[in-house]
Amino acid sequence: MVFPHGCKGGCNTANEELFKTLSDAVVSCKKDDVIAAVGKAKGKAPAVELIDNGLAAGMNEVGVLFERGKLFLPHVMMAADAMSAGVELLQDELGGSEGASSKLGVIVNGTVEGDVHDIGKAIVSTMLQAAGFEVHDIGRDVPVQNFIDKIKETNADMVGLSALMTTTLQGQKEVIELLKENGLRDKVKVMVGGAPATDAWAKKCGADCYAENASEAVAKAKELLL
Amino acid sequence: MATEYFLRMGDGQKIFMTKEDIRADIEAGSADAADLGEIPAMSENEMDHMLDIITSPGRIVGVEPGLEVPVTHDIGAIRIDGDQGNSGVGIPASRLVGSMVHERAFGADTMELGHIDYSYKPVKPVISHECQTMEVCQQNMIIPMLYGAMPNMGLYYTPDGPFENPGDLMKAFKISEAQDSIFHAAEHGIRDMTWIMQKLQHVGSDGVNFDTIGAAGDGDMYASLNAIEALRKEFPGIYIEAGMAGELVLGMHGELEYDGTVLAGLWPHQQAPLVAKAGANIFGPVCNTNTSRTSAWNLGRSVTFTKAAVEASPIPCHADMGMGVGGIPMLETPPIDAVTRASKAMVEIAGVDGI
Amino acid sequence: MGMPISHIMASGMTGMRAAGDLVARMQFDKSMRIGEAKDFVAKKLGVSNADLSDEFVMREIREELDIGVITSVPGCAKGIAAKMNIEKLLGIDINCCDKFREITG
Repeated sequence: MVFPHGCKGGCNTANEELFKTLSDAVVSCKKDDVIAAVGKAKGKAPAVELIDNGLAAGMNEVGVLFERGKLFLPHVMMAADAMSAGVELLQDELGGSEGASSKLGVIVNGTVEGDVHDIGKAIVSTMLQAAGFEVHDIGRDVPVQNFIDKIKETNADMVGLSALMTTTLQGQKEVIELLKENGLRDKVKVMVGGAPATDAWAKKCGADCYAENASEAVAKAKELLL
Repeated sequence: MATEYFLRMGDGQKIFMTKEDIRADIEAGSADAADLGEIPAMSENEMDHMLDIITSPGRIVGVEPGLEVPVTHDIGAIRIDGDQGNSGVGIPASRLVGSMVHERAFGADTMELGHIDYSYKPVKPVISHECQTMEVCQQNMIIPMLYGAMPNMGLYYTPDGPFENPGDLMKAFKISEAQDSIFHAAEHGIRDMTWIMQKLQHVGSDGVNFDTIGAAGDGDMYASLNAIEALRKEFPGIYIEAGMAGELVLGMHGELEYDGTVLAGLWPHQQAPLVAKAGANIFGPVCNTNTSRTSAWNLGRSVTFTKAAVEASPIPCHADMGMGVGGIPMLETPPIDAVTRASKAMVEIAGVDGI
Repeated sequence: MGMPISHIMASGMTGMRAAGDLVARMQFDKSMRIGEAKDFVAKKLGVSNADLSDEFVMREIREELDIGVITSVPGCAKGIAAKMNIEKLLGIDINCCDKFREITG
């Protein structure tokens, strides 16, 4: 198993073990295990580090295991639920500090108008949510204007545009054009995805990035927003 | 300066690379499949052979004479009369004409009838129309003629169907409710697919093609395998082809099983025996093309997955090699150089029984 | 359009131009792997496996056996008539032929 510790802040062997225990608890997808692990870890390292290097690292690992077919969507949600419970326990120690407890960013996600495909987009929404983003999934076959309205309503940092058919790919460009017309393009990052979307298409339609799958969507959202 | 050879990106764009770099990409693609599927990577000889195929100077390559395999067709005649802005070329022709064009002008080995939506669920209200078209096709055609469509369980969830959308339920942490919804949708899917094929078998269809199994995750595969089992039981002689949607069965439910095997997380070499057990005659392994990688990487990966499936399968394997799968670029007009190279590699290295 | 034609030209048995439909039919009818299906059909036709993709060899055989030829030859068996001859050649039942017999008694 890859152990994805970035170890922000001062890491030592004791902390490494602490972070690994937290990470493993999240990967186990069991809320009780995460709560117990956080209970033991609390006070032994700054809360922000426990979250970033322990709980969030575990959540990253869950994403990797999902892509590898070792964990499934229910596990991802159970792990996300468990992680939220762990973060909640550390809330009092976080105080005003910025860390993983604060949302990573607000993302509006939807499948463009004329395209009724939902499942891939729903998986991306779930993985983004599980990674700590505030996600507003506005469904499939979404009228262009609805993307703009939701972005304004939620003060979103990013919009995810899905299309599964070559025929509906153009809808992604239409949303980007309307973002420009509304003066929002500089403020809102745009990610495109779906079977016919490609890196070349992302460049051509003026998106900020293209994501091949749900894990990549999370990684690229972090790259763009953090 | 080292000689550079032309090949493609996964999106079809032409690129140039040295032999060494192409070989490295083949090896990396194969290693990725081997790592994910816990299967053997291609041997050195196989990778060298793939390198020779990719760097072959001709625009078009082909298998050695005597190694040809049947090419089965999906999406029916939609590629002739399809006019939705997709890969169909919009020629106003009946489906009989489209099918006969495949048989007599293209030299197809098998053909199938499919309707424009190409999902099973919408066939129900137009079943008489489909049956009559099948009858006319069977009266005029000689090559095996199946009925084909996608299980597409997504059509059973809100807002398109009666069951609550499991994606929404999952996001609301209603996990058991989401699993229930997937199971109930699958049960309806089994009933629909079986009923549709009962009608078509009664008018002389050779059989059925389940195309893009697993597109909606493990529930989709659960429904397809059970429909296959029911059809095999009722029609012992029916021709059944079962083609997948991707290399991995996504775990939307996570706990659905067939014959004691959890469906979520299965790779092609694990899917093949189950499909055979259910009663299919032909398995269609799939490996999706990564558009950000080269055709060398994609072909290395795809052949590795497919070869393992061919070896594990008790039934013939016809690799899915349409747009964006099997090492073919994701483009409505896939470059012929890339298609023929992928075709040759899949036959000569993966050892597929058909395409 | 280029994709199916490209596959057929690169790897296909070319259907009724040669013996691709017959090999495919045995794969479906008896779940035969490619080698077994080719052996079976070649034996029935009295040719080598390589001949199954040879248009020159198969053209004459298809006309002789009246199992359907790809070009429009007046008088040659077509549709169900050709498939009934294929049934006899391969020793299999084809669903639409069964239905035809049911209807015509």
